[in-house]
Amino acid sequence: MVNIFVLIAIIVESSVLLGVCLVLLQKSSYINKLLSEVKRLEKKDNVFDGGMTQEHDFIPVLVHEMRAPLSVIRGAADLLMKEAGELTVDQIHTLLAQIKTSTGGLLRIVNDILDVSKIGSGRFEINKVFANINDVLSEEAASFEPLAEVKKLKLDVNLESDVPKFSFDPDRVRQVMNNLLSNAIKYTPEDGAITVSSRKVKNNIEITIADTGLGVSDEEKPLLFHKFVQASNHTKIKEQGSGLGLVVCKGIVEAHKGNIWVEDNKPRGSKFVFDLPLS
Amino acid sequence: MPKKILFVEDDEGFYNIFSVPLKMKGYDVIHVADGAQAFEKALDEKPDLILLDIILPGVSGLDILKELKENMDTKGIKVVMLTNFGSDENVNKAMEYGAEDYYMKYNVVPSELPGKIAALLGESTDSGIKVTG
Repeated sequence: MVNIFVLIAIIVESSVLLGVCLVLLQKSSYINKLLSEVKRLEKKDNVFDGGMTQEHDFIPVLVHEMRAPLSVIRGAADLLMKEAGELTVDQIHTLLAQIKTSTGGLLRIVNDILDVSKIGSGRFEINKVFANINDVLSEEAASFEPLAEVKKLKLDVNLESDVPKFSFDPDRVRQVMNNLLSNAIKYTPEDGAITVSSRKVKNNIEITIADTGLGVSDEEKPLLFHKFVQASNHTKIKEQGSGLGLVVCKGIVEAHKGNIWVEDNKPRGSKFVFDLPLS
Repeated sequence: MPKKILFVEDDEGFYNIFSVPLKMKGYDVIHVADGAQAFEKALDEKPDLILLDIILPGVSGLDILKELKENMDTKGIKVVMLTNFGSDENVNKAMEYGAEDYYMKYNVVPSELPGKIAALLGESTDSGIKVTG
């Protein structure tokens, strides 16, 4: 059976790249076709083989997440094509920037789909190097400061100074941090606080991202890192997401032979914690 | 005096692609991203038309629609739902609450949006509104 995620990912990844090129060529017909295909997939989930009930249920969510940025790309391309002579320089810049942003969002979804597919099939690989994890954590936290500032969130970094160097995949750890920090910012209301910390616990390095956000119920905690599950608190607000980010995080951490879990952050919010073995 | 449109949309991408052609047609477009502020803004601004998303932070667009149509000061404002969620339940509720129309975002070509709402604003689709950029 053709893996559904690989199929969708290949369609979207190639199409996004081609789509942006076609915008420059003033031809958006490919994106139109892709949108039609996405619409068809959403309506006809029976195009996929059986035995994937959970995946079937999730397809509309995933397709919806992809359709929004695709629609924006197509809309921006349409305006650039039809109204080029009337648009101001600022408007042209806004539309091009929007194409770039939406394309980035689509590629993130596609990369998550591919990663989940590899994790599921046991083909997920990491490339370990001997490095200082605090450097990775502080760089990643710093990259989120502008976003936190926009939402008036306090972003603190509290890293234990004597954390030793060890072997891990810096790019994949960045990806985990990116996912966890994105979620923390997304689900923490204005004027809240997020803290990134690291410490050595026995033979592991433990990394914590604590927030003062919506929190996760006890019933949902064990399910959160499994495919297609989102905390119900999180689906009540606009930021829905593909629901794949935490699955990828779990896959990356487990590929390092570590663990990832979520705890309450008393009195409010969540603590997402992962540990990586030093040896 | 340009017609005033209140655009309740929290997705910056959709706001950008739909507001540009409206502004080009000379409409005064007022943007609200937070659903909780939409009703107050409508009371203050008295727009000629509201473009209203459904899934918004804080409050559902359908609840905003209901509140608008139940209030004497805002019930006359024309409301068009512009959303990505087209379930029969949502469409029926929107019509029941008094929405003038219900558009799916991915079915609307941005450059054609002004033409789609022109009649609701009492204008012909080729209204000749001055392009202001």
